[in-house]
Amino acid sequence: MAKITELPLNEDGIATVLGVLKQQFGDRFQTGQSIREQHGHTTTWLTNQSPDGVVFARSKDEVTAIVNICATHKVPVIPYGTGTSLEGHVNAPAGGISVDVSQMNQILEVFSDDLSCIVQPGVTREQLNTYLRDQGLFFPIDPGANASLGGMTATNASGTNAVRYGTMKDNVLAVEAVMANGETIRTAQRAKKSSAGYDLTRLMVGSEGTLGLITQITLRLQGIPEAISSARCTFPTVDAACQTVMQVIQYGIPVARIELLDAVQVKACNAYSKMDMPEEPLLLLEFHGSDASVLEQAEMFGAIAEEHGGAGYTSTTSTEERNKLWQARHDAYWATLQLRPGAVGISTDVCVPISRLADCVSAAQAKLKDEGFISPIVGHVGDGNFHCLLLIDDKNPDEMERAGQFVSWLNELAISMDGTCTGEHGIGQGKMPYLSKELGQATVDVMGAIKMALDPDGIMNPGKVVAV
Amino acid sequence: MMTPTTEAELAQMVADATGPITVQGGGTRGLPSDGLLLSTTGLSGIELYEPGALTVVVKAGTPVAEIETELAKENQRLAFEPVDFRGLIGSDGIPTIGGILATNNAGPRRLQVGAARDFALGVRYVDGMGQTVSNGGRVMKNVTGYDLVKLMAGSWGTLGVMSQLSLKVLPNPETEATLTLHGLAHTQAVAAMAEAMGSSFDVSGAAHADIDGTPLTAIRVEGFAKSVTYRITELTERLRHFGAEMSVAENSAALWSDLRHVKGFHGTDGDVWRVSVKPSDGPALIAAAGARGAQMDWAGGLVWLRMAPGTDLRARMGDIAGHATLIRGTGFARFHPEDCGNALLTTGLRHRFDPKGLFNPVLAAA
Repeated sequence: MAKITELPLNEDGIATVLGVLKQQFGDRFQTGQSIREQHGHTTTWLTNQSPDGVVFARSKDEVTAIVNICATHKVPVIPYGTGTSLEGHVNAPAGGISVDVSQMNQILEVFSDDLSCIVQPGVTREQLNTYLRDQGLFFPIDPGANASLGGMTATNASGTNAVRYGTMKDNVLAVEAVMANGETIRTAQRAKKSSAGYDLTRLMVGSEGTLGLITQITLRLQGIPEAISSARCTFPTVDAACQTVMQVIQYGIPVARIELLDAVQVKACNAYSKMDMPEEPLLLLEFHGSDASVLEQAEMFGAIAEEHGGAGYTSTTSTEERNKLWQARHDAYWATLQLRPGAVGISTDVCVPISRLADCVSAAQAKLKDEGFISPIVGHVGDGNFHCLLLIDDKNPDEMERAGQFVSWLNELAISMDGTCTGEHGIGQGKMPYLSKELGQATVDVMGAIKMALDPDGIMNPGKVVAV
Repeated sequence: MMTPTTEAELAQMVADATGPITVQGGGTRGLPSDGLLLSTTGLSGIELYEPGALTVVVKAGTPVAEIETELAKENQRLAFEPVDFRGLIGSDGIPTIGGILATNNAGPRRLQVGAARDFALGVRYVDGMGQTVSNGGRVMKNVTGYDLVKLMAGSWGTLGVMSQLSLKVLPNPETEATLTLHGLAHTQAVAAMAEAMGSSFDVSGAAHADIDGTPLTAIRVEGFAKSVTYRITELTERLRHFGAEMSVAENSAALWSDLRHVKGFHGTDGDVWRVSVKPSDGPALIAAAGARGAQMDWAGGLVWLRMAPGTDLRARMGDIAGHATLIRGTGFARFHPEDCGNALLTTGLRHRFDPKGLFNPVLAAA
């Protein structure tokens, strides 16, 4: 069973801060129950821990003012983008103030010659891509949800494109952040980093709001590919599909996306998206490049797939067909929920070396079957990352308990394979117990020391990542 | 000189240390030293290489050349193209992989794939208390807490002594080709490189240098032969409006080796500065510097300058934002000063990693 953090409340401090913020922010400071609940954790099985108040900030100066007020009274500051994280990142275990940055949604500048742009943290990725389209540019990181770029930066989001374009860590050039002491830092200029100073950019990316509140982000952009093709192929076993993936990657075929759906997932997608794909393990791929190269890449993939027993290989450059296919993949979560109406979905997030992927997926499938869980598997197999989505009756304590045991078992299996318990969802509250198992106490202590150095009073999103 | 041969020995040496330690890999960067010299060259060897998983685990003191040779057998490579500084500085020694990561070394392909840091999946190091710390591993991505791997990259040995690292490697492309434009001025060259980078032709190198006295702008593509030919043809059409004479380089690999190691400055006099700016500022920087020689890489984002000895380049940069690092020469701080907010964080972090202030005090103060 995933644990949420419980921490003592600084009730006097909170009461004071509530008064001050009300005075300074008027209607943009809200303490109604429903809005507070919305700003706690709402996406998964973790319990909602609402903040004491929500302030809608409009500028860096306002963020600084909020942090200063909270720092004076040692009250937690919890950054909030769109609230789509999965591990309780926006919960308020020690109460405090949720800083909603959704109104800081300006795209400040696009440097098309330098392939970069500067945005405020509340800009969503779809908003940015709509804005960039006319200029022939796009921002590739796509975690599924239309998340805010501030939240994506703070959680080092990735998604189906990561095999080609990397994660947020590879695409954030600099951040501006208000730190716990109220000081603003800019981690880098638009020039690439090359001095003795430490890489504060990548320290902030993925720090889950525990070191500072991001107020501006400089992102690396990509040119929209001349052509995109997609392909799909069915395999007799997950192992055959994984072997194909390894060979495709070793061969240097620059796939943009390579996704695995197991037979259960294909069945769910067929029913939900009204498709008729064979209900066997399936690889979905996408290639980005020039007109000639995307077809060539798709054909090379087809040849490799055939060697591994792949069947029903099809490829297309038709936008309509491609969108239909990927829409089905993006709707996998909703399709899965239909397999057991009324159930809640619990997602695992392990990532292993690609050479161990087939073993890990197969072991997970066998265990799910033994335990009698309904749980499809989807994987960003180019990165060795996959998700089981367990469908659980959250009113049934026994089932919840067994689901928790499965998640622990899988995390430990991945760790034993030199893998990690989380490839993209993050630690938040839900995975804190696994951090020391995976990294060892000495490493967790170093992280604690970093937290102490940058936030000695522990006001920045407390109770997440590392306990101090 | 201390040359530990195991991680445990390394940890003991650090734990026992009472004064400054200069941490060194192959010692090819000509860095100043203070106190005891600690070389990682005794920690050498490839521990695990899985071509199918695109990962290699190596001890920190392993020579880069040894790794590159092993990878080449499987038709793979270190995609960030590490630069060998020996020719430029006139130094000896053998570059080690730990040194490459500690300095976040990267060659021309950085603009496409990133630097050493972006290929570092995991690291083991000994901190200033003599404790061994491990972070990351062999997985392509993880989000387990603060990223100590990236923090160690580019820390120049001031946070800890690396003992082992795991890296992502990539397959060699089937072939490469380079389109060259002749005689472009710096501003035009940067415009041409920007246009190539903004295209969908997946450019893996964009540099500009004087070769045999003529300015040459080089644009590289890599991949499968058919696609490379197609992209070179399309790029030629696309860049025709610059009015430059264009050709396809006879030996693309040799040209990029020269650009990567800045061969044009080998055996010359003067100080060498390496400046990173935003690409569109490259020409303005060159104009402001009054250099004896200049080479641009990363589509203009990296500028190599050869200056009269004792010239303070930083004073000439004016409003141009960037980092100027003194690579060859003396008389100035090696690294560009950090602004004061960041410097405070840097100091705070260093104190947590190395409370006794043992590691590379000269660099830490620079």
